[in-house]
Amino acid sequence: MKRLHVDKVGERLTRHLAGRLSRRSVLARFGALLVAAPAFPLLPVQRARAGDAATDFSRAAQTHDDSACNYWRYCGMDGNLCVCCGGGPHSCPPGSQPSPTSWIGSCINPDDQRAYLVAYHDCCGASACTECSCTNTDHAMPIYRPQANNHVTWCFGTQGFQYHCSLAVLVGPAE
Amino acid sequence: MKRMQSDRVVCGVAALLALFGVPRADRAWCSTLNGHGSPPVLQSETADITPFPGFTAHDLAYSGLDAVTTGGIRIIDGDTAKTVATVYSSQYANFAWAPDDHTLYVSETYWALGDRGRREDVLSIYGGPTLRNEGEITLPERLISDPKTHAFALSPDGHYGYVYSFQPASSVSVVDLYGRKVITQVEIPGCGLVFPFGERGFASLCADGSLAVSDVNAKDRYILRRSKPFFDVLNDPVMDESVAESKSGLALFVTYDGWVHPVQLADTPRFAPPWSIEQAAGLSPATSTAGQITWRPGGQVPFAYERSRNRLFVLMHEGPPWTFEQGGTEIWVLDVSHHRLLHRWAVPQSAYLLAVTQDAHPLLFALSQTWLWVMNAESGEVGRAAPIVAPGMVSAKGE
Repeated sequence: MKRLHVDKVGERLTRHLAGRLSRRSVLARFGALLVAAPAFPLLPVQRARAGDAATDFSRAAQTHDDSACNYWRYCGMDGNLCVCCGGGPHSCPPGSQPSPTSWIGSCINPDDQRAYLVAYHDCCGASACTECSCTNTDHAMPIYRPQANNHVTWCFGTQGFQYHCSLAVLVGPAE
Repeated sequence: MKRMQSDRVVCGVAALLALFGVPRADRAWCSTLNGHGSPPVLQSETADITPFPGFTAHDLAYSGLDAVTTGGIRIIDGDTAKTVATVYSSQYANFAWAPDDHTLYVSETYWALGDRGRREDVLSIYGGPTLRNEGEITLPERLISDPKTHAFALSPDGHYGYVYSFQPASSVSVVDLYGRKVITQVEIPGCGLVFPFGERGFASLCADGSLAVSDVNAKDRYILRRSKPFFDVLNDPVMDESVAESKSGLALFVTYDGWVHPVQLADTPRFAPPWSIEQAAGLSPATSTAGQITWRPGGQVPFAYERSRNRLFVLMHEGPPWTFEQGGTEIWVLDVSHHRLLHRWAVPQSAYLLAVTQDAHPLLFALSQTWLWVMNAESGEVGRAAPIVAPGMVSAKGE
């Protein structure tokens, strides 16, 4: 399959973060990131490499219905789809807010056969949405490798810690 | 009619006198007034609490699943499949029984205003003759996730508790349960979970496929050592819910594809060669190659280990790679000593959790999201079934 270009992936992840965080919040979280650094020794790029090859999920994935569990970018989605709770694939429903941190997956788009980085953010601070529950575990890692684990409640730094639903935010091509 | 009304008044007065300590007042007066032939008036009662007999040989305890279900730790008598007791807990709680089988520790998190406001992480203590709350120990921020058995565990003698913290930096809070205080926090960078061994030691699994071992040195300070990687974390990682026994220090780390890595936990851990569950059944080993449909372990808590007969019970399903959360349609019983499959038992519906008691006539518990099946762990016969609240963590007596 296509080779992963680490610099480009890193740039895309940085741009993704820069687009989401204000300068103040970056400063506020810088210290936390320093502390958190040991927890993320390999960063999501390593995870993306594992997802390059076609998987059983990607072979059956579709690109037209984002409220179905087999929507292509939900390959690592383990939770409730925000699309079914008043939000969108990358938008939290009103009343909730996205977690600043996320777990990272790499999903193949059947239309162009490219692997894309996907950031799975939790939407937090609203009562649990019980709609459209999906358990997709393509290349999902155990909890001791948290950067690719979908069991952690990622609501660090949000107003409320209650898990509401999950997003699948497109970061960019994983190549 | 009037007679009956006056009788009731007299009986009511008698009941009141009984409440103030007049012995047998209600019974004696009322039986006299009621006369012969009519049924005796029912005795008055006081509200009390059923004594808690302890976590007995055939008991099972389980917690609620996650944000969708209510919290609480439920205790079930395996001989009747009925609820014995329930303890309050927050969502995403972990729990462990002390060796006395009467004290229950619950690791949990609360916010002042439901899910916001001041956060408090505590180790709540329940015990005594009626399983009452006996206080809390304040903790550093613990991991909040779908339930993980090995995010909280006790030392074999019950003196120390180990709570995995994720803030999101990784560390383990060491709690002196006798002194009821956190004594230190051990940084475990790049690693997670706790598998206790010996007097003070614990191991953790690491993101590069290695094992980290933490234990105290001569100066009573924790030292962390890392092994070389012993599994391929990117293609076939060890499952969070692998089996570990704190008393013997035996760990059976099982991968997504069904490779069992036996490890004797110690300051210098001993790694035995891995063996395949599928090969033990006469099949080719499972791989992570896309399209390979074969039998694989899967579920929330897919393993249970019976110490005396050295047997591993595994929830198995047929499916492609990366389906490690899929429920099991069969339970495979494996002889750990000889790497041999002994039995394949079908379960009534897909099961997600397993637990086994450790007595002479062990019971095997298989749980789906809605049902509990109590099985004979020697024959596989389903003896009882009961509806349950969606379970998160599970623990049978002696595990």
